[in-house]
Amino acid sequence: MSHTKQYPMQFTGAGGEYFVIWIVNIALTLVTLGIYSAWAKVRTLRWFYGHTLLDNQAFSYLATPIQILRGRLIAVAALVAYSMASQFAPTLAIVLLIAFFVLLPWIVVNSLRFQARQSAYRGLRFDFTGTVGEAARIYIGLQLLIPFTLGLILPYIAYRQVRFIAGNTVYGQTGARYQGALKPFWGVYLLSFALILLPFALIAYAAYQAYLMQAAGVSREMAMATFSGLLAAGMVAFYLMIPVVGAMIQARTANLLYNGTVMGPVSFASSQRARDLVWIYLSNLVLVALTFGLFIPWAKVRLARYRAQRLTVYAPEELGIFVAGQHQASTATGAELADLLDLNLGLT
Amino acid sequence: MIRFAADYFDGQTSRAHPVEATVEAGQLLVQGENIAFALPLDRIQVAPPAGQARSVVHLPDARELHSADRAALLELNHLTASARPERWAHLLESRLRFALAALVVSVFIVFAGLRWGVPAVALLATHTLPGWVEQRIGEEALALMDRVSLSPSKLPAVRRQALEQKLAAQCSKQACPPFRLLFRDSRLFGANAMALPGGSVVVTDALVRLSHQDDEVLAVVAHELGHVQHRHGLRLALQSIGAGAILVAVTGDIGSVTDLAAGLPSLLLQNGYSRDMEREADAYALAWLKTACIPPARFADILGRIDTGAADKTSLLDSHPGTQERIKPFLTAGGCT
Repeated sequence: MSHTKQYPMQFTGAGGEYFVIWIVNIALTLVTLGIYSAWAKVRTLRWFYGHTLLDNQAFSYLATPIQILRGRLIAVAALVAYSMASQFAPTLAIVLLIAFFVLLPWIVVNSLRFQARQSAYRGLRFDFTGTVGEAARIYIGLQLLIPFTLGLILPYIAYRQVRFIAGNTVYGQTGARYQGALKPFWGVYLLSFALILLPFALIAYAAYQAYLMQAAGVSREMAMATFSGLLAAGMVAFYLMIPVVGAMIQARTANLLYNGTVMGPVSFASSQRARDLVWIYLSNLVLVALTFGLFIPWAKVRLARYRAQRLTVYAPEELGIFVAGQHQASTATGAELADLLDLNLGLT
Repeated sequence: MIRFAADYFDGQTSRAHPVEATVEAGQLLVQGENIAFALPLDRIQVAPPAGQARSVVHLPDARELHSADRAALLELNHLTASARPERWAHLLESRLRFALAALVVSVFIVFAGLRWGVPAVALLATHTLPGWVEQRIGEEALALMDRVSLSPSKLPAVRRQALEQKLAAQCSKQACPPFRLLFRDSRLFGANAMALPGGSVVVTDALVRLSHQDDEVLAVVAHELGHVQHRHGLRLALQSIGAGAILVAVTGDIGSVTDLAAGLPSLLLQNGYSRDMEREADAYALAWLKTACIPPARFADILGRIDTGAADKTSLLDSHPGTQERIKPFLTAGGCT
C-alpha cells in the first residue's frame, strides 16, 4: 500500500510566448481563407496541454488537424444549410431544427468523447463512456421540465450534468465515480438567486423611501428625485451582478466537479473563488478593450494559470500503476458542431 | 547526430522509463534500463513543438517519448515528414519580427478585405444571385421594419393615390426599374425615403408633409429608384455578410455566424449607403427628372429642407454626405431633355 501524495497542478506557459503563436495562427488563417484554422486550433491546444504539468509530466493533445478540419467542414456545412433554409425555406428550417434537437444528445456525447480521447497523460488516453440515452435525459428531458418546475429543477440539472461528465470519464482503464451530493448545488443556485434579487431589493427600498417622504410632506419632486437616483443605482447593480453570478456559478461548479470525483486511488481538490474569477474576467475585459484585442493571449494564459493553481491532485506516490484501455478512434464532427453552436455542456 | 534524454511510455501502463534517444543512420535508438530498441525514422511522428511547451514523439503501438529537450525534438521533427503546414507557423514564430510582420499582414488583410475585397465580391454576387433571393431579403427587411420602426401610413388615401398615379404616368413615359411604392408612418426615420432590396421604395408620411409640391416627392423617389436600378440594397446586404465573415475569421468566434444570418435585415438599417452609391443614385435621379420634365431643383429644395429639419436625428438620409455638394448639379441643371 503506497502513500498518498499531494501533487499541485502547474501551468508553465507565458503570455508573450502564446502571443506569438496566436498572431501567427491568425495571419495564416486569414491568408488561407480559414482552412488553417484547424491547424491553429491543434497548435493552440497542444501548447496549452504541453504547458500543463502534473508531477513534472505534461498532458498531451493528440487530435490531428485533418480530423478537426473534417469535423469543422461538416459543422459549417450544416450551419450554412440551416441559415440558408431559415432565410428562404422556413419549413425546411423547422425540419432541420427538429433534426438538430433529436441529434443533440449524440452531439453532446460525441463532443465529450472526442475531447477525452484526444487527451493523454503519461502515455495513456482518457475516454468518455456516457451514453446517448443518458445525455438525452439530461440535455433534453430535464430541460423540458424547467418551465413546469419554475426553474426549481436547475440545481438538479447542474448536478446531473456534473455527474454525467465527471462520472463517465476514464483514464486508461481506471473509471471515475462521482461521489458529490445534490445539496451543495442547491446552495450555489440559491445564492445566485439571492444575489440577483439584491438589486431589486434596492429598488423596492427606493420606492418605500419615496413613499415615506411623501407621507412626511416632502414635495413630490424631491421624493421622485430620491426614487430615480436609487432606481438607477439598482439598475447598475443588476447589470454588474450578472457577471458576478456567472463567475460564482462557474467557480463553485468547477470545485464541486473536481472535489466530488474519485478516480481509482486518485482524488482532487479544487479551490476556485468567485471573487478571483470576477477580478480576472473584468480586468481581462478592460485590458482587451484598451489594447484592441492584443491582450487576448495574456488573458487566456492568466485564466489557465489560475485554474491550474487552484487544483491539487491526491494520488499514490507511484503514478506508474495505471493501465491502458482499448484504443478507439473517434470523429471530431460532434465536437466541432458543439463548438460552432457555442453549446455549454456544463464544462468548466 | 541528435541525442536527447526522454521519458519512455510503453503504451500499456503510465510508468515513465527514463531513456536516452539517439538518431543514427536513419534510425531512432532508444536505450534505458531493460529497454533497447531501434525504429526507422519513417515509423515515428513528432508532434510539432509549439512555443516552449513539452512535446511528444509518437512511436508505433501507442508508445511515446516525452522530452523537455525542445531543440532536439525540433530537429527530429525536420527529419520526419510529419506536419508540413506547421513548419511555416514555426518559422514565423521563431523570430519576433516575423511575428510582428504577421500582425501587420493580418491588420492589412482585414482592412483591405473590408475596404475593397468585400464590396468587389458583393458587386459580383449581385449580378449572379437569382432575383428571388433579392426579393426574399427585401421582404424580410420590410417585415422587420414594419414590426420595429414603421406603422401604417396616416396620409389620406387620395393623396397617396395622386402620388402613385403621377409616378406611374412618368414610368409609362420612361424606363423605371421594377418597383413597389409604399407609404409608411415612422417616428424613428422622420422625413425619409428608402429603397429595399427587391425594389420596394418606402416613403414616410413626414416626407410627404414636408414637401411643398408633389414633384419634390417624385424627385426623392427618383433618387431611390436609382438605388433600385443599381441594386444597392442587395449589395449592402451582401457586404454586411462579408464583413461578418471577416470578423469571424479574426475572432475565431464562429458561433456568431448564426446571429449574422438572423440579423441580416437589421444590418440594412444600420449601414448607410456609401458615397459612391449615393452619387450613382443622384446621377440616375438627375437624368430621370430631366426626362420627366420636372425641374431638378425640386430635389435640391426638399433635400435642403430635410437637412435642416432633421439635423439632430440619425437616419439613412442624414448620413448622406455633403448635402451642399450634392445638390449643386441639381441647381445648375437645365430643363427637359
